[in-house]
Amino acid sequence: MQKDATLDAKGLMCPMPIVQLAKKVKELKSGQVLELLADDVGAKEDVPAWCSRTGHQLVGVEEEGKLFKFYIKIK
Amino acid sequence: MIGEERKEMKMAKKICMVVSEGTFDKAYMPMIMANTAAAMGDEVHIFYSFFGTKLVTKKANPKLPGMYRFFTGMFQKKMKAVGIGNYMETFQQAKDLGVNFYACSTTMSLMNVKESDLLPGVKILGAASFLKLATESDTTLFIG
Repeated sequence: MQKDATLDAKGLMCPMPIVQLAKKVKELKSGQVLELLADDVGAKEDVPAWCSRTGHQLVGVEEEGKLFKFYIKIK
Repeated sequence: MIGEERKEMKMAKKICMVVSEGTFDKAYMPMIMANTAAAMGDEVHIFYSFFGTKLVTKKANPKLPGMYRFFTGMFQKKMKAVGIGNYMETFQQAKDLGVNFYACSTTMSLMNVKESDLLPGVKILGAASFLKLATESDTTLFIG
């Protein structure tokens, strides 16, 4: 999937992927797509929840074994 | 995902927490919740009372309860490995994300905690002011 930036949160557990995600989106412009890599099982539900609360759009999720790749379009 | 509530959920919420214990578990629970809520764009207020009050002082160094206190260091190491910093780092992170911290005025005088003992940015509040915040909030969690 096309992306403008990547945030590698592998090895981090709740709430760190979300906390770092919130910081990272502030650096990006509206319409840009951020790729978030995470392997915390909680992220599977937490990232969509964060997106629905903050209004950023989750445009794709890919699972590769234990790794989740989230694609988030900045509002 | 709870799809039906999505539209309403987009608005920022106000969350209050009351912390009345000072052990490691009771220290980290509100910190993790607060950091997550603030990262989701919520307004967070945490009121520290009774044994929780020492958690917002400069001397704060929470240990696991009872005999488990001997395992605090090991626990901390495991948490560091997954990206969660020590207590003061988590506090600072919460501060940076805009979380509001309050110390209970009555407990402070009962436990001889001076205003100068408090961590920077911690406000002193009475029950009435906190209850005003709590009644105006969407959720209040009691950690005790």
